[in-house]
Amino acid sequence: MEELIGTLKNQIVEQLNLQHLKAEEIGDDQLLFGEGLGLDSIDALELIVLMQQKYGIKLANPAEGPKIFQTVRTMADYIVANKKA
Amino acid sequence: MRVFIAGKGTVSAIGSNCIESWDALRNLRSGIGRISVLPTIYADALPAGEVKFSNKELADIAGMDARTSRTALISAIAAKEALLDSGIDIKKYRTGFISANTVGGMDKTEIVYSEYLTKKSDAQLTGVMHHDSGSITELVADVLGIKDFISTISTACSSSANSMMYGARLIKSNLLDVVIAGGVDSLSRFTISGFNALMILDNKLCVPCDENRNGLNLGEGAGYVVLVSERVAKELGKNLDLILSGYANANDAYHQTASSPEGTGNFLAMTGALKMSALQASQIDYINLHGTGTKNNDLSEGLAVQKVFEKVPFASTTKCFTGHTLGASAGVEAVYSLLSMEHSTIIPNLRFETQMKELNFSPVTTLIENIELNHILSNSFGFGGNCSSLIFSKTTLN
Amino acid sequence: MKNLNETMSVHGDVFINGISCISPQPTFDNALFLAEVKVHSKNKIYTVEPDYSKFLDAIAIRRMSRIVKFGTTAGLTALKESGAEKPDAISTATGYGLLEMSQRFLQDCVASGEGIVSPTTFIQSTHNTVSSNIAIIIGCNAHNNTFSQKGFSFESTLYDAFLMMKEGAQKVLIGAYEEIGEFNYASMLQANELKHEPCNNLETFNYQNDGNILGEGAAFFVLENEKRENTYGKLIGFHTFLSTDDSTIPSMEIETFFQKQGIALTDVDVVLTGVNGKEVFDKALLAVTEKLFTTSTIGAFKHLCGEYMTASAFAFWLAAKMLKTNTVPDVLVLKHANRKPNIILIYNQYLHYHSLMLFKNV
Repeated sequence: MEELIGTLKNQIVEQLNLQHLKAEEIGDDQLLFGEGLGLDSIDALELIVLMQQKYGIKLANPAEGPKIFQTVRTMADYIVANKKA
Repeated sequence: MRVFIAGKGTVSAIGSNCIESWDALRNLRSGIGRISVLPTIYADALPAGEVKFSNKELADIAGMDARTSRTALISAIAAKEALLDSGIDIKKYRTGFISANTVGGMDKTEIVYSEYLTKKSDAQLTGVMHHDSGSITELVADVLGIKDFISTISTACSSSANSMMYGARLIKSNLLDVVIAGGVDSLSRFTISGFNALMILDNKLCVPCDENRNGLNLGEGAGYVVLVSERVAKELGKNLDLILSGYANANDAYHQTASSPEGTGNFLAMTGALKMSALQASQIDYINLHGTGTKNNDLSEGLAVQKVFEKVPFASTTKCFTGHTLGASAGVEAVYSLLSMEHSTIIPNLRFETQMKELNFSPVTTLIENIELNHILSNSFGFGGNCSSLIFSKTTLN
Repeated sequence: MKNLNETMSVHGDVFINGISCISPQPTFDNALFLAEVKVHSKNKIYTVEPDYSKFLDAIAIRRMSRIVKFGTTAGLTALKESGAEKPDAISTATGYGLLEMSQRFLQDCVASGEGIVSPTTFIQSTHNTVSSNIAIIIGCNAHNNTFSQKGFSFESTLYDAFLMMKEGAQKVLIGAYEEIGEFNYASMLQANELKHEPCNNLETFNYQNDGNILGEGAAFFVLENEKRENTYGKLIGFHTFLSTDDSTIPSMEIETFFQKQGIALTDVDVVLTGVNGKEVFDKALLAVTEKLFTTSTIGAFKHLCGEYMTASAFAFWLAAKMLKTNTVPDVLVLKHANRKPNIILIYNQYLHYHSLMLFKNV
C-alpha cells in the first residue's frame, strides 16, 4: 500500500502538471480538492483519466469522483478494491 | 438606427434549408441519432445531430469541390440561402461576411494528422491549408462574391451571436450596409473526443432542462441572417418587419468550462440585451434557451433566467432537435427564432419529463400555435465564460 | 450605388495608454526599444519569453501552454502599464489559434484510437482561451471577443474597439497572439513558403533565399478616450481591403483613406511595410509604397518578428514605441528620409489581406 501511495503521488503530479510541487510534499491524507491542494473540476476529470490509463479502472459516473479522490489514501484504497487483475 | 433582417438560411440535422427545418420543428421531428457520415468508434455509442449528407452530396448542393472542408460546405449552403432569401444584389451595397466557427477545417486536418504522425514530413500535408477558422470564411466569401470585408469570430458556443452583434454594429456605424452574419461548425472526431473527455455527453437522446438530464448531444450545422441598415431595408421595398433590437456579450470570468453557480455572465448578457432594446423583461414573449442538457449549463441558465424575469415567459431549447451545434448554435437558433415569429408558433422541448428542483419554471412541452410573438430572446453561452444574448423584435418599417 | 472607397475606413483618435509585446526580439521590457536585436538562423523563430512566475499564479500556470502564457502575460502587462484595472471591453485575435494544445490533443486522439484522452489539452485548444483567461484573472465581466481571420484578425479587434467605444466604452484592451505549431510549420515547408536554412532574419529581404521566416508572438494594447501622462501616442485612423490579385494593389484604396483623413501623403514621416521575404509580394507592396510616399522613411518589421497572421500587432507596438521615443531605429529602415516620427503609417499585407494603421504623436 505504501508503495502504491508513493507511485500514485508521482502519477498525480505528472498528470496534473503540478510543477510547483514535489510528490513527497503531498500528504497521504491531505485533501486534494477545495482547501487542500486546490484542485478543480478539470483536475477531477484528469484523475479519472489517470485511473483508467494506469489502473484500468473506469469511472462511468463523475459524481463518484469527490468521494474517491478525497485524498491519495482514498484513491489508493479504491484502486486496491477495484483494480482488474 | 434599426438593423433589419432581410434574409436567413440554415442547415442542420433537421433540414438543409429553412422550409425543411421549420417542417421538422413544427412536426416535432428531431434529427439526433446514430452518427452515420463521420467515421468514428462512437457512431453507435453517442447520438449526435449530424447533417444527413455526405461531403460529396453537400458539395453538389453548394456547388463546390468535394474535397472542401465539410465546415465550408455547410456554411456555404446556409449563407447562400440567406443571401438568396434577401433578394439583395451585393454589388449595390457595401457588404460584409461575418462568420463564426470553432472547428475550422479540423475535419480535414485530423485525417492528415494521422498520416503525419507516422510519416512526418513525408506525409501529404496540403490538406491542412484550410485548418484555420478564417480560411473557412474565406472560401465561403468567395462563393458569395463578398469582397468588402470578412471576419470570423471564435468564442466557442457564443460565436455566431457575437458575429451577429459585430455585424449589426458595423452597420450602425455606417461602415457597411449589408452583413451576412452567423456561423457554422461541423462534427469531427476531435470535437467528439474532447467533449467526451469532459464527460458532458449524453449517451442517450438529450433531455435539456430536465431534473434527470445527463449531458448534451453534439450537432453540426450553420445559420446565417442578412442584416441590413434601415436605409437598405426601405430600398428593398419588401416591407421587412423583423429587427435585431438588442444584444450583449458579457464574461462570466469564473472558469474555462464551467458556468458560475449563479450564472453571472448569463445574467449580464440578458440584462444587457434588454437594456439595449429598451425593453422590460415582461415584454419578452419567448426565450430560446441555450439549454444544452448539461447539469451545469441548464442550472446556471435557469437561475439567471429567474433572476432576470420575475415571471418567466415561454421558454424552450431547440437543441432537443439539432443537438448542440457549437459555434453555429446561435446562428441556427436565431433562424429558428425568426421562423417562430413569422409563424406565430413556439417550438417545445422534446422528451421533457421532470422540472428541475432548483427552478420555478419548466420549458414549453407542447407546440403553441397562433401566439403573437413580438420579442424573442435567444441565449448562447460558451466556454471561456463567453455569454451572449440576442433579442429579435417585430416592428413596422415606416 | 456603393462607393468602394468609403468601405471599412475609420477616422478618429484614440490614445494608446499601455502596451506589451513578447516576440522573437527582446521586446518585453518597455523601458528599452530594440536596444538589442536578436539574430536567428532558422526559418522559424520563437519568442524570447519572460519569467512567467512573476506574472502568473503557479497553480494556474501548470495548465497553460506557451501561447496562453505569453498571450496572458502581455495582456496583463499592458493593462498594468495603463493603470486600468478592468477594461470596458476585451478584444483579441489569433490566426491559427492554440496550435500546440490542438496538436497534442489530436496526437492523443490518434494514439488512443479515439479512446481515453486528457480534457485539459482540449479545453486549452479553444481560440478564446487567452481572452477568457485574462477575464478570469482580473475578474472582468465585460464584452469579450476573439477573432480569427488571417490577415484581418488583429484588424478586426481595432474595429471592435472602435465600435465598443462608440457605445460608451472608455478603455478597451486589444491584442493578438500567435504560436508556431510543428504541424503547420511542416506544411508550410512542404509548400515551399519558407526560406532555406540556414538563413539570417536580418537578411529577410535578400530574395536569393526567397521565402518567409515563420514567426510568433503576442502584443497587447490599452486604447482609451483620454490622454494620460504615460500616453504613447494616438491611433488616428485605420482601413482594410482585400486585393484580388497578389501582385496588383489598388493604390486608390490608400489615397482615398488619406484624403478622408485630411492628411497629405507627404505628411507621413515613416511607413513601415509588411514586406515578408517573398519577392512576389514584396515587389508589389514596395512599388505602391514608394510611388505614393515619395518623401517618407520607408521601413519593414517582419525581419524582426517573422511572418504570421497577426504580425501587424507587432508593428502596432513598434509604432507606439517610435512615437514615445521619437526615434526610428535603423534596423527598421529600408530607405531613410531622416524624418522625426510624428505621423507613422503601418501598411501590412498578409496574402491578399491589406491593412493601414495611422498613428500620430501627442
